[in-house]
Amino acid sequence: MIDLSVNLSGIKLKNPVILASGVWDLPYREIIDFDRLGGVIYKGVSLKPKEGNPPPRLTETPCGVINSIGLENEGVMNFIEEILPTLKESNTAIFSNIFGESIEEFSKLSSLIRDVSGIEVNVSCPNVDKGGLLFGKDPNIVYSITKSVCNETDLPVIVKLTPSSANIVEVAQAASDAGASAISAVNTFQGLVIDIETGKPLLKRGVGGVSGPAIKPLALYNVYQIAKSVDIPVIGSGGITTYQDALEYFFAGSSAIQIGSAIFNNPLAPIQIIDNLKKWMERKGYKNLKELKGKYE
Amino acid sequence: MPPTYRILPVIENRSLGPYTYLRIEDPEMLLVARCGHFLMVGFSSSIDPFLPRPLSLFEVEENSFSILVKVRGRGSDLLSKTREGENLKILGPLGTPFNPPESGVLIAGGIGIAPLYYQSGWMKSGKLFYGTKKKEELILTREMEERDFTVKTITQENGGTVCDLVRMNKNDIEGEKIFICGPWDMIRALKEILGEFARNAFVYLERRMGCGLGGCKSCAVKTNSGYKLVCQEGPLFPLSEVRFD
Repeated sequence: MIDLSVNLSGIKLKNPVILASGVWDLPYREIIDFDRLGGVIYKGVSLKPKEGNPPPRLTETPCGVINSIGLENEGVMNFIEEILPTLKESNTAIFSNIFGESIEEFSKLSSLIRDVSGIEVNVSCPNVDKGGLLFGKDPNIVYSITKSVCNETDLPVIVKLTPSSANIVEVAQAASDAGASAISAVNTFQGLVIDIETGKPLLKRGVGGVSGPAIKPLALYNVYQIAKSVDIPVIGSGGITTYQDALEYFFAGSSAIQIGSAIFNNPLAPIQIIDNLKKWMERKGYKNLKELKGKYE
Repeated sequence: MPPTYRILPVIENRSLGPYTYLRIEDPEMLLVARCGHFLMVGFSSSIDPFLPRPLSLFEVEENSFSILVKVRGRGSDLLSKTREGENLKILGPLGTPFNPPESGVLIAGGIGIAPLYYQSGWMKSGKLFYGTKKKEELILTREMEERDFTVKTITQENGGTVCDLVRMNKNDIEGEKIFICGPWDMIRALKEILGEFARNAFVYLERRMGCGLGGCKSCAVKTNSGYKLVCQEGPLFPLSEVRFD
């Protein structure tokens, strides 16, 4: 029997495959069987609703996609009252991703959210003028935010990091020191696409965040560096579309993985990764994921 | 009916005017498809191009449906070269469907004819105003006449756009429900030209999309009540709601 379950500092998941924040909403339950997933992280919520950035907000890039959505969301109370009860119908771990423009906002958000498997702290969004990766680049700010969130909630706290920081290991260490239960690494890479008809950026806001297979080796290297340096588990993300990609992340030291923009290309990717991972482990004689983790070292 | 995600084979690829007509085998689409529906069409087992393309339903028959592809970039070029027997990833039907009136006015610019042709199949009669750049780009005019539509066409090489056509025939439009599909500039111009008739007008909008399922929040369009997602609340919007600023 293959055991796919994972335990992230006390967060127990039936398998390591988590649907990442920011790529899905409730209609996806019609297509993906959420009961099969290790967990789902709902799109970043802020204290008040945010209308998001002006369009165009997204375009394709080679083997990937660039977006500048700007955290469009209906606010935390909508999540608590409308979204969470619906998500609870599924038998999977539910996480809430929170976004604040100040330490106080992060504290307030984490004091409001209950009844989820954990809170993912977004200090890595590249598409906002305040907060996001501007916070996530600085280990001291990440320490303060993580500390204040941990003080406000008894829930496990996961900190999602940006690859834009000068030293991502330092930032991960700061989150760990402040009491985070796990690290999510990484959010999108800052990127630019120019419309040659106008000479101007194709996305209205200019810069965006690149995701998809194009960033996989870059993201994987970040994950590898973090995993060998911090003691808390790392949830790897960045360009995972197949079980082979997932395996690379486990070998590099990930304890679990997030699937993001892959579901645009193939909505069944998360389920196929779970099934194919199991088959591969059977074929190779592995019994559980611990045997794979960090094998690179 | 909820959408489904399936891998389906192309069973016909031919030219239709300047476009590629792709017919896809599917016994189920006829049971679920309605006016206003669209599909996300992706390349089988490919991560490059990475994103599926949002495309209108063009025809739906007993065991198949078809889409019309205009080559604009690499993705649509590859899609147009899909061979019979090759598979496509199909997510759909998506969007908010609507019941069209028995009769009304359709205004098409270029490939905007595609969803309007599908819509005309649900109507008893009507009028079509249809403009393209060149004469050979005008398609389906005979078929529309067979569906009891009065067809008026114009081409830019003959000195006019569909907006001119509408301006010249404004009397024909009074009191009718109007459905528009075409380029953004055409829609903007029509809002002006239609004046008070714009209250009875609806427009099919197109936006770059990541998912088609309201997940990525990419396909936002500015309306009088804030941003709306084309994939969820559209693709059909009341023209008076759409903001062009």
